[in-house]
Amino acid sequence: MNTWSFYANLALNGLVEGLLIGLAALALNLVFAVGRFPNAATGDFMTVGAYAGFGAHYLGGNIVVQSGAAMLAGAAVGLLSYFAVFRKLAGRPMVAALLASIGLGFVYRSVVSLFAGHDPRFFPMGTVSAINIGGVRIRDTDVWLAGIALLCMAVALAVLHLTPVGRQMRAVADNAVLAQASGIRSRRVMFALWAMAGMITGVAGLMLGIRTAVSPELGWGMLLPAFAAAVVGGVGSPAGAILGGVMLGIAQELSTPWLGFSYKIALSFVALAVMLLVRPQGLFGQKEAVR
Amino acid sequence: MLGYLVALLILGGIYALLTISLDLQYGHTGLVNFGLVGFFAVGAYGSALVALAGYPIAVGFAVGICSAALLALPIGGLALRLRDDYFAIVTLGFSEVVRLVIVNEEWLTKGGLGLPGVPRPFAQLGVGGAEAAYLALVVACNVIVVLVIRRVVGSPFGRLLQAIRDNETTVVSLGKSPPGAKVRALVIGAAIAGLAGALYAHYITFVVPDQFLPIVTFYVWMAMILGGVGRLSGSLAGAAVLVLLLEGTRFVRDLVPSVLAVEMASIRLILIGLLLIVFVIYRPYGVFGSPSRQ
Repeated sequence: MNTWSFYANLALNGLVEGLLIGLAALALNLVFAVGRFPNAATGDFMTVGAYAGFGAHYLGGNIVVQSGAAMLAGAAVGLLSYFAVFRKLAGRPMVAALLASIGLGFVYRSVVSLFAGHDPRFFPMGTVSAINIGGVRIRDTDVWLAGIALLCMAVALAVLHLTPVGRQMRAVADNAVLAQASGIRSRRVMFALWAMAGMITGVAGLMLGIRTAVSPELGWGMLLPAFAAAVVGGVGSPAGAILGGVMLGIAQELSTPWLGFSYKIALSFVALAVMLLVRPQGLFGQKEAVR
Repeated sequence: MLGYLVALLILGGIYALLTISLDLQYGHTGLVNFGLVGFFAVGAYGSALVALAGYPIAVGFAVGICSAALLALPIGGLALRLRDDYFAIVTLGFSEVVRLVIVNEEWLTKGGLGLPGVPRPFAQLGVGGAEAAYLALVVACNVIVVLVIRRVVGSPFGRLLQAIRDNETTVVSLGKSPPGAKVRALVIGAAIAGLAGALYAHYITFVVPDQFLPIVTFYVWMAMILGGVGRLSGSLAGAAVLVLLLEGTRFVRDLVPSVLAVEMASIRLILIGLLLIVFVIYRPYGVFGSPSRQ
């Protein structure tokens, strides 16, 4: 294998991983824009989605059924989190919602491990078939996963920009008081927001579970990369989150020959810190005070 | 039984130091530090490594405390430039990076295997005597730290910190400079967390990266909120409740033997998570705190 195809394979792997990070970052950004706090339970929404998808697989469901189950479970925990916790914290300092989201994350993760145990579970890959183009291997599961991720992103962006509730969501994100004054019902917006964020994270969790292994800690480890992607792309910018995720995913994979596999997370930390210091609004975000 | 009580008190004293450290940073200055365990880990590993290299334990303590404090300087530089929520995530990331470095730099830290045989002081006093002497050391550290913090909080510097917490813009308009004060609060807090780490390493006599997961940070957050943010006595009470909660769940297994250890660990985490949520929603100023204080 020559060097070029080695890096091309890494980049390709990073692209799929990046799409997955991008999905999580998209959900993070949606909540951040409308709810105005970083939802630290995002990773654990992913874990729940991954287990729901694995449950569907266990019962014989194919990838479509698995995605549906992951979306439903994600939406369920999203709405539960909002109605049981975050709704009560509206108008309180941001730290309150952030701390509560950490607590919620612990609860979801531990409920999962209480019933499903800590052993990692694997989706059977069967015989992995791959298309080989000049030394660049494209696995068909990756094509599937990338397709699902892109579809989810397209649907999310379409909902945001083409539907009334999406327009209302953006209005609340832009100026909550003004939105309320012009008669936007915040209840409906919040319902749509948390259902959507939950679905997106659920699918992201399923994808991560298929690519690696399903375990209770699955999603928590993704929180930092997702947050880094959201910041790199621009906090509050949905398209920026996706691009930030892809960039981070590719950068992580391309850095492994030098940094080794285990320092991947450190790269997101560096990207996060540098970006916040140099260009806090992100690559595609609007100027907003982060200081 | 008495031995177990001493062990509980020692652990409680170590958590009390961590809670006081966090309370100085968040309760008094408003810095949302989600990376406390990183400073705790640096204190523990710093002290353990120096002591294992053959230097006296006191030198280990000093190295642990100083390296934790030094590490707070770059984090402080970030704190000046970031809003609360960003600072929280960045410090959380920092503590994970500290753990990653410990896991990966095996030449120094033996990686995931950990460092066994960290020397314990007072060994010449026999088993019971050494435990009692260690408890005395932990209590002495707590007393000194409490006295220092009381002085700091009561001093003009302490009032400046509280003014920064309550309204930073006003502080600037009065001609004071918040950045330096924030960094100092972080460094002092980090040094206390480093001390807690050193005490922990030489008590448990074994350090391993899994002892320094982010969950420890949130244990301490829970203890601080439980006891009341911005109250020294609250920090001590919160730490006591925390240790009872962490250790008390063992007795539940004695009563209900059918519960497995891993299940109990999950139940304990669920309980901690729920407590964090319930307190944030219903009693953000602690059991005894009144909302009028802030």
